[in-house]
Amino acid sequence: MNTIEQQLWDYLDGSLEESAKKAIEEKIESDAEIKSQYEELLKLNLVFGEMDLDEPSMSFTRNVMESVALAPAPIAMKTKVDKKIIYCIGGFFLVSLLALMSYVLYNSNLHMPGFDLNVNFDFNLDKYITPTAVYSFLFADLVIGLIFLDQFLRKKLTHK
Amino acid sequence: MEQELTDLVLIQNVLNGETAQYALLVKRHQRFVFTLALRFSKNREDAEEIAQDCFVKAYKALGTFKQTAKFSTWLYTITYTTAMTFLRKNRLNTSSIHDEETFLQLENQTSGFNANSYEKQDSHTFLNLAISQLMPDDAAIVTLFYKGEQSLEEIGEALHMEPNTIKVKLHRARQRLKEKLQYLLKDEVKELL
Repeated sequence: MNTIEQQLWDYLDGSLEESAKKAIEEKIESDAEIKSQYEELLKLNLVFGEMDLDEPSMSFTRNVMESVALAPAPIAMKTKVDKKIIYCIGGFFLVSLLALMSYVLYNSNLHMPGFDLNVNFDFNLDKYITPTAVYSFLFADLVIGLIFLDQFLRKKLTHK
Repeated sequence: MEQELTDLVLIQNVLNGETAQYALLVKRHQRFVFTLALRFSKNREDAEEIAQDCFVKAYKALGTFKQTAKFSTWLYTITYTTAMTFLRKNRLNTSSIHDEETFLQLENQTSGFNANSYEKQDSHTFLNLAISQLMPDDAAIVTLFYKGEQSLEEIGEALHMEPNTIKVKLHRARQRLKEKLQYLLKDEVKELL
């Protein structure tokens, strides 16, 4: 495959490495037969480059536009895959699973005599819910809310 | 103003709802897509149907076009697959598209011409005639390389072939074109070349 003609074509296409390029240039300079072959391919290359493109009928664009008018307008994939839809689907499955689990637990008559945790659930909540704790919780909520609002407004500005 | 818009800008406009701008993309690429289709179908009517189908498919799938690649390369991939599907449907030369026998058959179909009758025609006519006698994929590779401004890698992507295979086929196609031009033009080839 690596004939002199192939090398000459590669040289004309500019796809040879520097060392191979120099080698073929030397061959063209030193060998009259190769030089004549090179000149023939050079002219042939120019002729190939001048090939004509065929023209479709005058009504081609109109026909295409009439056909695409019947199709729904294309939408970018990013727009198609809306994150809200994914969150809604995720939320729906989560709620469904929780509802199903609750229903099963509520209706089951689970009894494990050998399994007794003896955990005292009788917490004194008033001891923990102090005004400071409530204010701290609300403050954290406010900070998170402001961060989300900032991100939302930034996104809107970027889109504009 | 509109002529200055790049393919990517036009695509973005179409995706944003300005669907009429797709006509500009069609006008810009129709000659090349049609020529490419003609390389496979060898018939103007079929080529027009393939090219039209290709643009409709491209429009429907425009949302999936990854804007990191050239639109033309993506379009030529669609043209190639549409042409192949069309040929399979119409049971034309499909099983033997890469086959030497088809090449010989196609050659025989047009071998009855008299070279003397073409004496007054220019080199473009002879070149187009020689290209039409090549195997479809060889003709498509030569067209993509010289007129489509596509690299060997991009042609490989469009025709689902390795760049090395494209390189071999391109070399073979050029050799055959040279032989055919020599045969078609006989002594005049020296003047042409």
